[in-house]
This record gives sequence, structure tokens and C-alpha cells, in this order.
Amino acid sequence: MKKLLKYLRGYVKETILGPLFKLFEATLELIVPLVIASIIDVGISIGDGTYVLKMCGVLVLLGLIGLGFSLTAQYFAAKASVGFVTQVKRGLYQHLQSLSYADMDRLGTSTMITRMTADSSKLQTGLNLTLRLLLRSPFVVFGAMIMAFSIDRDSGLNFAVVILGLSVIVFGIMLITMPMYKKVQSGVDGILNRTRENLAGVRVIRAFGMEDNEVKDFRHENNILTLGQRRAGNVSALMNPLTYVIINIGVILLIRIGALKVDSGSLTQGEVIALYNYMAQILVELIKMANLIVSISKALASASRISSVFDITPSQTYGIVTEGKADDIHVELNRVWAGYNDTSESALEDVTFFARRGETIGIIGGTGSGKTTLINLITRFYDTTRGEVKIDGVNVRDYTREALIKKIGIVPQRAVLFSGSIRDNMKWRKKDASDEEINRALDVAQASDFVSEKGGLSAEVSAGGKNFSGGQRQRLTIARALVGDPDILILDDSASALDYATDAALRLAIRGLSKDKTVFIVSQRAASVMHADKIIVLDDGRAVGIGDHDSLLKNCSVYREIYDSQFKKEAS
Amino acid sequence: MQTLVNKGRGKTLKKALSYIGRYKLFLPISSFLALASVGLTLYVPMLMGDAIDLIIDKGLVDLPGIGRLLVLSLILILINALIQWIMGMVNNNVAQKICRDIRNEAFGKLERLPLSYIDRTPHGDIVNRVINDTDRFCEGLFLGFTQVFTGILTIVGTLVFMLYINWKIALVVVLLTPISILIARFIGGRTFSMFKERSECEAEQAAHIDEMIGNSRLVRAFGREKEALSVFDEISARLEKSSLKAIFFSSLVNPTTRFINSIVYAAVALVGALAVIETKAVPIDMAFLTVGEFTVLLSYTNQYTKPFNEISGIIAEFQNALASAARVFALIEENAETPDAPDASVIENASGRVDLEKVEFSYEKQKPLIRDLSLNVEPGQRIAIVGPTGCGKTTVINLLMRFYDVDSGKITVEGEDIRNITRKSLRASYGMVLQDTWIMSGSVRDNIAFGKPEATDEEIKAAAKAAHAHGFIKRLKNGYDTIIGEGGEELSGGQKQLICIARVMLSLPPMLILDEATSSIDTRTEMKIQQAFNTMMEGRTSFIVAHRLSTVREADVILVMKDGRILETGKHEELLQKEGFYSELYNSQFAH
Repeated sequence: MKKLLKYLRGYVKETILGPLFKLFEATLELIVPLVIASIIDVGISIGDGTYVLKMCGVLVLLGLIGLGFSLTAQYFAAKASVGFVTQVKRGLYQHLQSLSYADMDRLGTSTMITRMTADSSKLQTGLNLTLRLLLRSPFVVFGAMIMAFSIDRDSGLNFAVVILGLSVIVFGIMLITMPMYKKVQSGVDGILNRTRENLAGVRVIRAFGMEDNEVKDFRHENNILTLGQRRAGNVSALMNPLTYVIINIGVILLIRIGALKVDSGSLTQGEVIALYNYMAQILVELIKMANLIVSISKALASASRISSVFDITPSQTYGIVTEGKADDIHVELNRVWAGYNDTSESALEDVTFFARRGETIGIIGGTGSGKTTLINLITRFYDTTRGEVKIDGVNVRDYTREALIKKIGIVPQRAVLFSGSIRDNMKWRKKDASDEEINRALDVAQASDFVSEKGGLSAEVSAGGKNFSGGQRQRLTIARALVGDPDILILDDSASALDYATDAALRLAIRGLSKDKTVFIVSQRAASVMHADKIIVLDDGRAVGIGDHDSLLKNCSVYREIYDSQFKKEAS
Repeated sequence: MQTLVNKGRGKTLKKALSYIGRYKLFLPISSFLALASVGLTLYVPMLMGDAIDLIIDKGLVDLPGIGRLLVLSLILILINALIQWIMGMVNNNVAQKICRDIRNEAFGKLERLPLSYIDRTPHGDIVNRVINDTDRFCEGLFLGFTQVFTGILTIVGTLVFMLYINWKIALVVVLLTPISILIARFIGGRTFSMFKERSECEAEQAAHIDEMIGNSRLVRAFGREKEALSVFDEISARLEKSSLKAIFFSSLVNPTTRFINSIVYAAVALVGALAVIETKAVPIDMAFLTVGEFTVLLSYTNQYTKPFNEISGIIAEFQNALASAARVFALIEENAETPDAPDASVIENASGRVDLEKVEFSYEKQKPLIRDLSLNVEPGQRIAIVGPTGCGKTTVINLLMRFYDVDSGKITVEGEDIRNITRKSLRASYGMVLQDTWIMSGSVRDNIAFGKPEATDEEIKAAAKAAHAHGFIKRLKNGYDTIIGEGGEELSGGQKQLICIARVMLSLPPMLILDEATSSIDTRTEMKIQQAFNTMMEGRTSFIVAHRLSTVREADVILVMKDGRILETGKHEELLQKEGFYSELYNSQFAH
């Protein structure tokens, strides 16, 4: 929770002034019963009409000043809560972006999104109410008690017992409902995830005609969620009646004690009425506080969920090196092992190879053989479990992140673009890239034709790049990686949706780029890698062959098998 | 403008009420309980007032009389508490059930929306409506039940009791309090549009978050955090401004009405105190206001104005809830896919005859895509569709599956226009494996049995074996029970594809659609799958979209598409001999 509090820093003034003005307002309210008591004990008992008129004028004046205080308080509360949550969301957004791939795997996308949206919104409502009421209500309650003590000690004790009883109930119910609301929230996360999944898989669901089934499953989960909400609500529903009973028993005792004291002459009728009015004020404020506590407990649950995200320290730290040695050896893996989590078996086992500057390296192998893992180690999306990865003679862990990003252009398997223009998307690696640079990259990526058809660099891209076909998206993501001229270019099975003609033209164009550029091509097509200077053949996490096409054909049975499966028939 | 907004709000409110109407017993029960509770809540202070009147001065206190009144009060208080408790539970349960109904309906709608809507609308926005907006509406609804309804009753009840005690003072209260209603209405009208503006900013931010956090791996890979943050900040700044405005203005209602109430309170104190003074001058039986009654009137004034306060406070909350409700209802009322015709036929065990007649189609009217496409497919034929990216191959599948309807021309299965066939039976006739793999969160078993939940373990294993997925599944931590998808075990693209294939293998419909189905599977595995596909395709009409031309050589008909038209058709050898576009494509894969 401490991690959240620091976001209040910019709003210290508002956070203090808001409740403070509420206190001023509350103080004025505490004076009202005293005014009424004096109307009864002075004005009515001596029959002085002007005195009554004067006192009623005081009541209006108190109201007017109270209005001023209150408006000021509302403004500060709104400003602080909105500002605070804006800052929290910003911090959260930044924090999520600082997480490593392994952290994101553990957290899950829909959790990240709920924390940013629904939880933040609850936090805002909760804080706003807190600033407005949390101090005010206890102040009125204890203020009333102190006033009662000043009128009569026994009645003051009566107030103290009532307040104690109320607190037990209010906080007891809060303690019971907190975990219940927590469970409700995880149910909300569940149906949220299901909704997202359904949208993503809409074609598959409809192809199988499983719409009704999905609705049934959703209803089931929704029912469980609703049941949880109802249970939590039923416990909360005890709050009002219980507090009502206690307060009114307090009133009964008050009249009883007051009756005896007036009879013996130690209290006046007006004072009993003042006490009665104070008790009524306690009730009003406590009901407010009870409702408030429900919202606050929800907000606190959200706050602790948000704060648990802040508690995840990014599992990767970076070094300070910005430039390595201009060696002949560009990329080097030395006895590298890797696994995605502690329990599962290694995804890569004891892989060693190096790439000279300017070489094209092919990586080929079956599904799940570790190709993408290998790439993820070079880019340092994940860390090795054993062994080291070096770029320009320096361990990747010693580079700053910016340096690594600058060196490497990557085209991931899943071709995703972002909403905006094509130009915006092309500037991902290099913010200030000129149109000329971008067009060059598009040319290499064989994307110029359809880009100009769509209306050039300013053409609109919708979220995810859905208005482009799979192959077009792939080519755009290749161009995106080329802008800014990275030393190392990695194509992770990025031509799978391209036809052979385009694929071949693409490879030719890439080879025509700077001769110092080292290119990694991950593919399942032998045709895509067979002209590489060096091919690494992976099988079940092990490098079973490293060499050029001809030597692998001779010496590596796995490679031969792959090659034959794709070329033999055509050749015969 | 104002009336337009009001009208929209009125409509939304009406729809919200129709949901409440489903719980027929609810309104009478809740009303009865509220009535009883309000009656008792108002009656108890009268007893207390009577007791106070018995406390006059030193030596002038009727202790036994006070005792009797207090015991009666205690009993009524306990009964009232019980009623309040039951009422709270009833309201809560119904509000939650209504919320559940709306969520169900909204989700049910998702399953019936046309693909064009889902492809076009940011998913984050839809999710926000189904979950967050419904949640907010639900909270507003609960507040409405618990406070608005009892509030109105309290107002009416208090008036009656006040009239009973002293009509002059009652008149003062009745004349002055409407001012606070007017103020509340005025502010409420203003804030509705402010909350709407806030909702829009919120939706925009949600869509941004969905995109950037959903793809945070990519953002990180490119070091785009700063740029993404600056876009986020820009939206955030607008959201902050509109939120502050909406929240501050809606929070004006409370203090303002509270001020009006303190004026009312002062007025009652003035008129009441003067009346008590007058009363003292006349004989006791002529008395029209006692000190006890004066106290009760003052506390009634509070009780009467309090619901005004609350109601106006809640109005703000309610505005907010209605703005959310409007967004959910808009989704629920979105046009669904045109329903199947009542006389639509159900096809079973289709032999596999599919004909396309002069089909034209485009996603956007101004950009024609498929033009004049005709094709006759005999049962059991293998149709391969090849061509450069963007030529309309995937669109053909969208049309075959009726994800989209043709603009003109028609597609028939077994001679029947597919618009006259139930979608469910049409789609059930096809087994489809898409390039974009879809894994839902759940076990491997659930994922394979997705289309056939009643499948036995043996069937599932057999399907997985046929898809060559059994091997890697066995090696997963918990085998077929391993949880995959969101928050579960991460699978490679190829492994996901194998599971999708196993899914189709399990149900084996009479026709197949393979959309670049094997693009992320290595060729060694693909060779094995290809064999399985071959067995599967035996006697089944199959549509294969592929880039790897080796996989389409055995097709009976190869359609070569370019720019939405069929350029060439024929068998592999025929097309090669033609030396047209196909042979150009084919030979390019050997170009170095």
C-alpha cells in the first residue's frame, strides 16, 4: 500500500485541505443543537420572540458558512482523488511496461488490464468519498460525545457506550465482507477473461456452433459470481438495522436518564432535547460512515490488488555498457541453457555457436524445438539459466536496455500492428525516421506496392492491424524492424504467410543491405535458410547440426529429413 | 440539446425498469417492507416526543408514563430493524440478479453479433461494456432501490405526520423544500452530459490499454514505452479533466441541498418556537404545540430533508449509472446476425457439393474485393486456393462459412442457397483450421473437446494422436490436464496449431477448410499431419488455402486468385504447362 501513497505526493495540499474544510463544516453542525437548546431554555421559557428570531438568524448564518466550507472541500477532494488515480494509473502503466517477459507470463494480460481499468476506477471513487466523509463522520460522532460530556457526565458515558457498540458492528461487518468482496473481484476477472477470449475466438466458436455452450459456461460462471455478490451484500445488509437498534436504545436510555435528572433538578428540558438531537446526529453520520465503509472496503481491496502488481519487481536488471567491441565475432552463445519456469524441463540445452559480423544465420527445426527461445535469449527477452550470450564481445546482461534495442531489429512471429498511421507504426524503432528511410524499409520488405495502394504512409491502421491481411501485416512488421538500420536483424518465422515469390524477393533484398548486418532467419522452410552462411538445426532443445547447407545435407540427418520433405517431390 | 439528452436518459431508464419487471414479486414485497419500515421509523420519534413532554421541570416528571412509552418504543425498534434487514437482503439480491441478467444478455449478444461488428469494434471497448459498465449500472440500481424508494416514502410519511402535529409548520416545510429538488435537477441535467463525456474518454483509454498492455511484449521489444506513455498521458489528461468536472459538479448537489435544508430547519425552529410561546399563554386544552412536539417536528424536518439530500446525491450516482447502462443497452440492442429463416433447412451428412454463382463481395462498399466468382465443387473434391497475399483467399472462407454474407450472387451447398440453411448446421458441416490459432484458457483436454464436450478420453487421445499432438501433450507437466491459455502453460505457435487440428480431428465433419493451417508447423511434422489430413480428406470436400505449393499439388482443382478474381483453374500439371501466373508463383520458390 505504501507504494500507492507516494502518488498522493503531488496532492498533499488538497488531501489535507479537503478533509480540513469538512471538519470546519462539521464543527458548525455541532453548534446547531446548542442553539436549539437555548431557544427552548431561554427564548421559550421567558417568552422572548426577538431572541428566538435572533437565534434562527444564527442558524441560517451557520448554514451559509457551512456551504462555503463544503464546496471548497468537495473541490479539493475531487481534485485529489482524480489526480491521484491518474498518477497511479500512469505509474502502473509504466510499471507494467518495465516488467520482463517472464513477469508478464506470470501475471497474465487480463489481470493487467483489470488493474488498470476497473480497479483504478473503484480506487478513485473510494478516495473521493474518503476525503469527503471519513474524517467528517468520526468528527461529528466524537464531537457529539464531547458535547454530551460537557452537558452531563452520565449521558456522556451513555454516548461512549453507544459509539463503542456501533464501532464494533461497523468494523466487524467490514472485516467479514472484505475477503468476500475480494473473491467477487476475482470472479469479475474470470468473466472478463472469458469475454475477451470469446471475442478473440469468435470464428472458431461459430465454426463449431458452440455459441450456446459458451453462453451456458458464461452463465455458470456468472451465477457463481452473482452468488458471491449476494452473500457479501447480505452480510452488509446487517449494517443499517444493527446500527439503528443500538442508536435507538441509546436514545431510550438518554430519555430515561434525562427524566431522572430533570426530576432531581440537575438538567433542564432544553438540555435533554439537545442531547436527543446529538444522538440523532450520530445516527445520520454513522449511517453515512457505514455506507462509506462498504465503498472503502471495495476500494481498499482494489488498492491492495493494484499494489500487489507494484510489488512485482522487474526480474531483469540491466548493465551500463552502451557499446561493445567491434570484433569479427558479432553474436556468440556459449553453453547456453534456458527454461521458462523453474519446474518445466529446459527449452534449450547446452547450445554453443557464434555468428560473424555480416553473416546470415539460419535457424531451423521442428515445432517446440527451441527456435524462438534461442532468439529470445539473443534479444534478452528472457535470461539464460546457464551459460552466456554475448553481442560484440559483451554479455547481453551488461548492456543497457536502450543499447540492446538499438542493436537489434526483431520481427516477431505474431504480426501485430498498432492503431495509427502506417508512418506511426514504422517509427517504432526510430522516432525521428524520415519518410525516405521508411520507404526504403518498405521497399526491402516488399511492402511498397500495397502501402501506396492503401494511400501511402498516412494510411490508417486499425488496432492490431486488422485492416491488413496476414501477409501484409508480416511485411509491415519486417519493414518496422528495418527502420533505423539495426546491426542485427532477426526474422522469427516472419515470412510464413508470404508466398514463395515474395519470400524470395524479400530474402534477396535483405541480403542486399549493408554487409555488416548480421541476419538471423528462423524458419521451417529449408528454402528460407538454405543459402545462409551458417545454419543451426535444432531438435528438442539441442543443436544437432551447425554448418552450411551442403555440409548439413551430408552430416545432419534431421536437416536432410526436413530438406527432403520439402524438395524431394518437386525435384523428382 | 438538453431535451435530447433527457429523452435518451428516459429511454434508458425505461429499459432498466423493464429488467426489474422480471421479478414480479419484488416490487410489491420491497414496497411493503419499505412502507412498514418508514412508518415505524417515523412513529418511534412521536413516542419519544410524548416522553419528552412528560419531562417538564424539577419534580414535574411522570416516570411511570415515560417507562411505558420507552418499552413500546423498544419493541417497535426491534421489529423495524428486522424489517430493514430483510428489505436490505431482498433489494441486494434482486439488484445482483438483474445485473447477472444483463451480463448474460450482453454476453449472449456477443455470440450472435455479426462478424463485421466484432472485426470492426475494438475488443477492449466491448469487454468494458459487458463487465465494467454493467457493474457500475448495478451499483447505481442498488442505491436506487435502497435509498430512492424509501426516501420518497419517508418524504410522504413525514408530511402526513407533520400535518397531524401542526399544519402551519408542515406548510413551511412543503413550500421551502422543493427548492432543493429544483437545484438537484438542474445540477443533475448538467452532469449527465459530463459523465457521458467522461465515459467516452474512459472507453478510449480502455481501448488504448487493451492495445498497449495486451501487446506489452512488443512494446518492450521495441523500447516504445516512452511513446506509448505519451499517448496514454494525452488521453489521461483529457480523462482527468472531464472526470474532475463531472465529479465536482455532481458533488455540488449535496452541500447546496444541505444549505437549503438548514434554512428550512431555521424556519421551522422560528415558527415552532413562536407557536410554543403563544401556546403557553392559552389554557392547556387549547395548546396547539408542546415542547415535545416541537422537538419531534425539528427531528422530522431533518428526516424529511435527509432523503432529499440523499436522493439528490444519488441522482448524481444514478446519472453515472445510466450513462453506463446506455452503453450496455446499446450493445444488447446492436443488430444481431439476420436470424435463420423460419423455414431454413438443416443439412446433415452433406455429400459435399458446393457451388458459387457469380459471387460479389466487399468489406467496404467503395473497395470491391471478390468479383464475379463462380465455382462448382463436386463431392469429395479437393480445392486448393492459391495466390498472392491479399487476393481474397481468406475472404472466400468467410463467405463459405457465412461469417459474412455475399453482396450479390449466391453460394449453394447441396443445391440449397446457404442463406436458406441454418447457420449451425452449415458450419457444423465444415471442419475449419485457421492460421490464427485460438486457445481458450482451460485444460488441453477441454481445448481439444471444444466442439464435442461429450467426447471420451479415448476419442480425445485418438484425435490428438491423429494430429501428432499426443507426443508433446504427454510431455507437458500435467499431460491432458495441463492448463493452457491465459495464465497457463505457454505453448509454441506450432503446438497451439496442433491442438487446433486435433480439435477438428475429433468431430470430423463432411467438409474441411484449412486456412494456411500448417503455416507455423515445421515441415517434418507437417508431413505427418499431411498424411492424417489425407485420410481425413478422403471422400470429403476440402478447401485448402496454402502458400506452400507442395501442399496443394494433390488438389483436384487449384484456383489461382489475384485481386479477387480467379485467374486460372486446373490441376497442378495443367497449370504448370500453361506457363501462366501459377507456374510463375510455383517456380519462384526455387529462385534464390
